[in-house]
Amino acid sequence: MAMLFGFGQSAEIQIRLSNEDSRKVVKARGDDGNLHDNFLYYDGESVTGTVHINLKKANHKFEHQGIRIEFIGQIEVYYDRGNQQDFISLTRELARPGDLTQNAQFPFEFNNVEKPFETYMGTNVKLRYFLRVTVIRRLTDLTKEIDLVVHALSSYPDNDKSIKMEVGIEDCLHIEFEYNKNKYHLQDVIVGKIYFLLVRIKIKYMEIAILKTEIVGSGPNTFKESETVAKFEIMDGAPVRGESIPIRLFLAGYDLAPSMRDVGKKFSVKYFLNLVLIDEEDRRYFKQQEVTLWRKADKVMRRPGSDDEEPQTSIPGTQKFTAPSIEHPKPESPRSDPKSGSTSPDDNSDSS
Amino acid sequence: MYDNPGNATDQEKFLDQSIRVVKAESFEMKRCLDKGKTMDALKHALQMLNEMRTSELSPKFYYRLYMDTMHELQCLEVNLIQEFSQEPSKLSNLYECVQYASAIIPRLYLLVTIGGVFIKCGLGSRKEILKDLVEMCRGVQHPLRGLFLRNYLMQCTRSVLPDFPETEEMLLSHNSTLPKGTPQLKPRDGTVEDTIDFVLINFGEMNKLWVRMQHQGPSKEKEKREKDRLELRILVGTNLVRLAQLEALTEEMYVRDVLPSILEQIVSCRDTISQEYLMECVIQVFADDFHLATLNEFLNACGQLQQEVNIKILLIALVDRLALYTNSSIEGQPAPTKMQLFEIFSEQATNLIKNRPDMPMDDIVALHVSLVSLAVKCYPDRLDYANMTFLGLRQVIEEKGITDIEAFGKVGRELTKLLNIPIDEYKNVLRLSELPEYIKVMNYFDYRGQCNIAAYMVQNMLEQETILRHQEDVDAAFSLISALLKDQEKQPESSHETEEFADEQNLVARLLHLIRADDVDSQFLLLNSARKVLGEGGRHRLRYTLPPIIFELYRLVLQFADMKDEDEKWDAKIRKMFVCAMGTIGALVSTAELAELPMKLYLNGAITADRVPFEDNHTVVYEFVSKALSILEDDVVDSRDRVRCLQLTVGTLLKTTHLPEENWQPLANQAVLAAAKMFKKPDQVRSLVTVASLYWHGETLETNGEKMRNGKKVVDILRKSAKIARECLEPLVQQQLFIQLLSAYIYYYEDKCTEINVDHIEELISRTQDNAVQLDVSAEADNLEKQLGEAIHRLQLAKIDVAASQVASPRTEPDLPQPPSENEGL
Repeated sequence: MAMLFGFGQSAEIQIRLSNEDSRKVVKARGDDGNLHDNFLYYDGESVTGTVHINLKKANHKFEHQGIRIEFIGQIEVYYDRGNQQDFISLTRELARPGDLTQNAQFPFEFNNVEKPFETYMGTNVKLRYFLRVTVIRRLTDLTKEIDLVVHALSSYPDNDKSIKMEVGIEDCLHIEFEYNKNKYHLQDVIVGKIYFLLVRIKIKYMEIAILKTEIVGSGPNTFKESETVAKFEIMDGAPVRGESIPIRLFLAGYDLAPSMRDVGKKFSVKYFLNLVLIDEEDRRYFKQQEVTLWRKADKVMRRPGSDDEEPQTSIPGTQKFTAPSIEHPKPESPRSDPKSGSTSPDDNSDSS
Repeated sequence: MYDNPGNATDQEKFLDQSIRVVKAESFEMKRCLDKGKTMDALKHALQMLNEMRTSELSPKFYYRLYMDTMHELQCLEVNLIQEFSQEPSKLSNLYECVQYASAIIPRLYLLVTIGGVFIKCGLGSRKEILKDLVEMCRGVQHPLRGLFLRNYLMQCTRSVLPDFPETEEMLLSHNSTLPKGTPQLKPRDGTVEDTIDFVLINFGEMNKLWVRMQHQGPSKEKEKREKDRLELRILVGTNLVRLAQLEALTEEMYVRDVLPSILEQIVSCRDTISQEYLMECVIQVFADDFHLATLNEFLNACGQLQQEVNIKILLIALVDRLALYTNSSIEGQPAPTKMQLFEIFSEQATNLIKNRPDMPMDDIVALHVSLVSLAVKCYPDRLDYANMTFLGLRQVIEEKGITDIEAFGKVGRELTKLLNIPIDEYKNVLRLSELPEYIKVMNYFDYRGQCNIAAYMVQNMLEQETILRHQEDVDAAFSLISALLKDQEKQPESSHETEEFADEQNLVARLLHLIRADDVDSQFLLLNSARKVLGEGGRHRLRYTLPPIIFELYRLVLQFADMKDEDEKWDAKIRKMFVCAMGTIGALVSTAELAELPMKLYLNGAITADRVPFEDNHTVVYEFVSKALSILEDDVVDSRDRVRCLQLTVGTLLKTTHLPEENWQPLANQAVLAAAKMFKKPDQVRSLVTVASLYWHGETLETNGEKMRNGKKVVDILRKSAKIARECLEPLVQQQLFIQLLSAYIYYYEDKCTEINVDHIEELISRTQDNAVQLDVSAEADNLEKQLGEAIHRLQLAKIDVAASQVASPRTEPDLPQPPSENEGL
């Protein structure tokens, strides 16, 4: 009865994770739209820690109907708030119903938890992991949640195929482009080149955009949302036939997540490299190419200065496109009449 | 090219805006640098460099923006280098970081800057960074922005390009200058070959951009674009300069890699402006021995250039440069090097002309100017080279059917240059006769052109004192300058009236004095033969060309005069010389229709003959004087001329001492007659006074060195003269004549002419004084009054003198005072 009048005991819940000091923290966007520091976990990693129940009033009895902690992986689709899907839900009982007369700590342990997906905050969908402590009481339960960030690491063979394609608009523009891979890790660098086989438009500049497409739902209820997450100018001015323009795009400079395919049968995230040429009338000519982004385990940090004796031969940032390519004819003389430089129609059959 | 071609004011405005941003951002950048916030500084640098993306500015204004921005980037560079020395780890991934920038122009400017910093700090592989930078710059295909970006690349890397391998000492000396705690420089990688690759790539790309400027934008702005491009050419040329500055660049590398690559680029760009400029650049920047080693390749490339390219300028530049070089440095080196040089040039030039049927004639000639210059200057002994060149040119002219090249036309000017070279260089015109083709080429000139060249030759001979010693010399010289010696087919009607004609003939006259044989006989033969050639020159030339011959003959006579004992035919020879001179003078009378000139020459001859004691020399004197008198008689028309000529004759007669009386008398009589026959009375009076002196001062063979002193004759003539004077109607003139007569009378009286009656003089004085009163007042009258006063005074003195001498010794010879008239000498 005492509770009813506000005299009852109340408590504060705290979740302390093991190794908080050494655990990596990443910023993640929360429900409120602000960035928060979250602890980072990987698949298969145990989630352990201690739950602290701190009584607000000393020497008062705190009555409860049981205390438990849950580890939950959840996909939430915004347009369908009620329909949350927990793809993981693990529970540990911390205490049986009873009374607490003083602050109490309850260690917990989720051993080798499978965390199959990466944390994702999208436009229409959210995938999150969190720990929730519930103190069951007769009227209202006390709960406390903390979000954890999970990075899903993958590894792809280094020698994956390059993307190479010849595209064009008949008698107007004909290019061949090549990206060194089709799967890039998030700190990777995209190198490649664009080779101009025929140029009859006045190009103003050329850029590469990274497009992110989020696909939610299935069947008639599919929602597709695309956004440009990066724009990177790779050429200024108009090239002539025979020019070869280098591409070197560092992904580390952008806020990117790995590609995701049919996560929890709910959503996918795809990335495209969009090569865009803009002419002097601001017309856009583009070609999209899907690439897979993946998360690679962090390298073992090397202590700077420890390898002083070893001569540095390569510096970060000079990655070169070295894939063997077909022999191209020499760049043509710019003064040759554009009308005379036509390629045979067979050459540019592959047009976008 | 740029979107806003607008006027300068608009451009100023745009530039101003941009520069303001640059200033503001660079200020922020430096503040961040001061605080050690490198990344923030770089962000501001990017903002600043954003201005370099503008399309609004013309090259000139863009350049100004570039210079300002450059300055700020240098501050950044210096700062970063300093920072690195304190905290090396701070920079380690900067090269990557700056590449996150999404706009390409700012990104690449920054990348180049950081690349430069890395190399300067010894971070990473120098070779790799250079290669990376030059490749990444390919992203800028906009000509103007690309050119400046790549220029910045060259600027930033100029001091760090690998050249000579770095030695231990160099590193040590470098490291010792670093502040304490700075990481010491390690040997940097990269060789000069890497630098060559690097610069050649940059050069090729820049040239492509530069050429591309020409083909973008509306065709009506072609001229403006060309102007823009010319303003930017130095950016492209800098690459070549950089290559040339490499100390480790060997001839082998140049021959094998550098030049072929440059030439390939130049030829394949097929752009006139570029080709012309870059070829000249190559000639100017690289060393002479490199050029010598690659002549064939270079000239070959010249042949492949666009038709519009002014090949002439290129070849001339090259030839001139090499001519200078070979002349100064490989003197005495084995001939093959030099020989090849000419042959290569000659062959290539011929090919060029063949392959370019549209080449203007003046260019063709100009090309030959260089060739001849090369041949003549570097191969002074190889006359065949020079001749070959003239032959080549002649064939071209012949093929084109060109004749009568205008002296002052485009072609003519080049041709003049061409023909003048051997004259100037050989310093001996006679050598030209060993170039048979020379004259043939010269003959393609019009009349004026030929004359100009011939005159130039003569001038050269005079300056160089080219002596014509033998008949062949005379023949050679005359055939070279034949345009001056004879009427030419192409000669315009009135050419002899021009100033040039007179000048040229005077030159020829001076030239004749260069005829100088070793002995008298040969000299006579040379003069005689020269006279024959000159004799055909026509009346307008003879007056200039024959007198020197005659004077030379007289000179020869005088020279020969002392050699009587050495030659048994002495008399005959001297005589022959005079005969020759006489004939020559005769030509002046008959062909040239002159009077006074031949007369003077006769008189001069007479004096010469009188001075040389050859047998019967008086016959020559008589002949010459009488010929002079008959010219006076028949051909001198103008009365003043007649007076003067008579004076000359009298003077000459006074100088002759070897005429026998029987010859002297007719001549003197003739002179008196001539004097009396003057047209005007005053002339008669004066001439008679003059002639009178003959009978007082004259000498003949018979007087034996004494004066004639024929007082009676003198008085006769003076009296006759006085009579005529009295008949004169003009008071002033009459007064003059009286006073002149008075002077003569007093003179002879002073000179002890006993036949002179003092009363007679006094009568004349009183008549003169009467006359004086009637004269109108004038300065002239005053003057005459004064002269009269003096005459009277002189008479007084003379009287005393005569009286005294009659007392002392009745007949002595006083010193001869000056004769009263100026009738002496020629």
